[in-house]
Amino acid sequence: MFIARSEYDRGINTFSPEGRLFQVEYSLEAIKLGSTAIGVSTSSGVVLGVEKRITSSLLETSSVEKIVEIDRHIGCAMSGLQADARSMIEHARVTSQSHEFHYNERLGVESCTQAICDLALRFGEGAEGEESIMSRPFGVALLIAGFDEEGPSLYHAEPSGTFYRYDAKAIGSGSEGAQAELQNEFHKSLTLDEAEVMVLKTLKQVMEEKLDSKNVQLASVTKEKGFRIYGDEEMEGVVGRLEGN
Amino acid sequence: MNHFPEAWGRPRDDIYGSYNASYLPQSRGGLQSHHQPTTHTQQPIVTGTSVLALKFSTGVVIAADNLASYGSLARFTDVHRLKPFNKRAVVGFGGDVSDMQYLDRLLNSLDVEENYTSPTGDAKSDDDRALVDAPLMSAKNLHTYLAKVMYKRRTDFNPLWNALLVCGLDEKDQPFLASADLLGTTFSAPSMATGFGAHLAQPLLRRVAPDEAATQELSKEKAVEAIKECMKVLFYRDARSMNEYSVAVIDQSGVELKEDEKLENQSWAFADRIKGYGTQTV
Amino acid sequence: MASLFQQSMPSTGPGYSFASAPTHHSSSGPRQHAFYPYTDNGGSTLGISGATFTILAGDTRSTSGYNINSRYAPKLFRIGGDGPENEGARIVLSVVGFAADGNALKERLDTMVKMYRYQHGKEISVHACAQRLSHILYGKRFFPYYVTAILGGLDDEGKGALYSYDPVGSYEREQCRAAGAASSLIMPFLDNQVNLKNQYDPASGEGLEKVMRVPEPLPQETVEQLVRDAFTSAVERHIEVGDGLQMMIITKEGVQETFTPLKKD
Repeated sequence: MFIARSEYDRGINTFSPEGRLFQVEYSLEAIKLGSTAIGVSTSSGVVLGVEKRITSSLLETSSVEKIVEIDRHIGCAMSGLQADARSMIEHARVTSQSHEFHYNERLGVESCTQAICDLALRFGEGAEGEESIMSRPFGVALLIAGFDEEGPSLYHAEPSGTFYRYDAKAIGSGSEGAQAELQNEFHKSLTLDEAEVMVLKTLKQVMEEKLDSKNVQLASVTKEKGFRIYGDEEMEGVVGRLEGN
Repeated sequence: MNHFPEAWGRPRDDIYGSYNASYLPQSRGGLQSHHQPTTHTQQPIVTGTSVLALKFSTGVVIAADNLASYGSLARFTDVHRLKPFNKRAVVGFGGDVSDMQYLDRLLNSLDVEENYTSPTGDAKSDDDRALVDAPLMSAKNLHTYLAKVMYKRRTDFNPLWNALLVCGLDEKDQPFLASADLLGTTFSAPSMATGFGAHLAQPLLRRVAPDEAATQELSKEKAVEAIKECMKVLFYRDARSMNEYSVAVIDQSGVELKEDEKLENQSWAFADRIKGYGTQTV
Repeated sequence: MASLFQQSMPSTGPGYSFASAPTHHSSSGPRQHAFYPYTDNGGSTLGISGATFTILAGDTRSTSGYNINSRYAPKLFRIGGDGPENEGARIVLSVVGFAADGNALKERLDTMVKMYRYQHGKEISVHACAQRLSHILYGKRFFPYYVTAILGGLDDEGKGALYSYDPVGSYEREQCRAAGAASSLIMPFLDNQVNLKNQYDPASGEGLEKVMRVPEPLPQETVEQLVRDAFTSAVERHIEVGDGLQMMIITKEGVQETFTPLKKD
């Protein structure tokens, strides 16, 4: 199997005889090495949570940035090669600003996700002769949370350029266990406070280190406050609400 | 009075002094030195005059004379300014003749392309067409295309110096008549005329067909007669016209084009009552 | 077409009273180009917004100088909706000025509005469309679309929305606006009748005691009649206005179009 595969996994634009693009599939593997990120959508907003892997006690934890703002009403959490995410985020930010400039309205969350995914396949030449801008697929997956005129929404965007909307989604190394947990715990009448706790609880189960307010990060998107990364005090508050902490 | 008609009616130098041209640019004999950007000078050289067209109940009639003028010189007397595109559309060209020839070549290549995609486009008989029922490019489609060509060229500051009338049948086989000019301006009306025809023929044509409803009642014969009458009026009063012309009738049965028609029943009786027309004895 | 005859053949003949008219221009020196890419096709447009509707109107005459090109050349266009006939459109654009630019502008805005629906999965709002139109116009700041545009529709709350533009994209939401050849005749009438300028409550006192009447959104029938009055008056005083009056009334039910003949003289 491995031998058969190796013949077709060199060229990024070459299908294998079975109809697979191995480099894209490998990029999905890269995400499974990344830290866990979770998003949960409620009727009043979306909560994003990530684990920060503190590899050294000398590491300044606040410099680990895995949740970023795209616009006032959209934010995203990432898992995988963080450096790759930078160009995607940049593209999303520009798209969002450009949309507001041209249309005097906020960019829809789905449109934002679509814009990011449009970039994901630019390792090959575009249909209209656009030049290839990357040598390989992205090695990062994003959870995009936002609040637009349709209400709150959560999207998962993959390096393959596909995206789906989720009520709750986990990505990264602990995603399998976390997703099963979310499947059991999620219900439509969840409040934002409950969702915060649920995200941390799920992270706690899949994290190797012991969860504390320094090695996880939360953010939320609500109608009133838009996208917001939680500060240290707020993090401590939520961690305090977690049972057994 | 002197022997230079151009000077007649102008202030005389010996009385009023010479014209103060100081405000004019140096190129015009003045003192002003404008350093404005220059581009290619554009003007029509060999020109065709008016094109006339009129809708009737089942089709359209269009006419233009066969003269191509070089300034005031009647340079070519056998230039055909009506170009049939297919069985449903004819284009009439006023203005620059070389630009007309360019557009004609453009339309020919367009027709070739169209016939690749709808191979029965040049079917020999109506039966052939009905058999496969391949859609033929309509006059409306052709007009849209030409209007975009004209507008693009004006936007590039490289205009095609023409006024076009596009006529024939639209996609529902209804009579269609519309124009496009060197600026890309388009409009449509029951009767249309370019150039001097807009002043001299259009009032007469509007008397025959004041609105769309009137064209529904107009017979082909009446329409052709009205157009021929207008060609005659234009020959009487337009100094850049001639008495040989082309006329085309487009209806369900296709294009009927005649390219060497002569004006009939001319009457110059009105002329001797008008000053400036021919030799004046008093 | 008139422009064809405004070009005179270069003449070196004698007889000009001013000294040596075309003198040294026959040398290889540069000449000014003779092509002017604009013309004015006359006509007038007008828009008024109400509490639950917006009305756009325009005469249907097209002119070149003193010539009438056509008695029916619409200046009102549906924007968006489905297919070339814009079925189901909820936004109307009116353009007056240079008709070729007007058409080009309409087609660009229409394709952009249609693309918006494909890209964002929803109908564009007038508010967003208005901003987009402004950018289209400004994008050609140094070779402008020579048109005065008015955009009409209903806003997110269902209220009448009307936006007016200058040729380079400066825009504003207003209650009413007249544009084109007879705008200087119609706008003061609208100021008085819609915004109640110079109208005082007759029951109030004299001099400084006088109380201005407060403008309120007008009912649809009143507005329709105001539009008809504005145009019948404009036709009397402006030669480029006439032939027909086209109106588009945008309500939550959609766009309703009417046509009323005007004087053809």
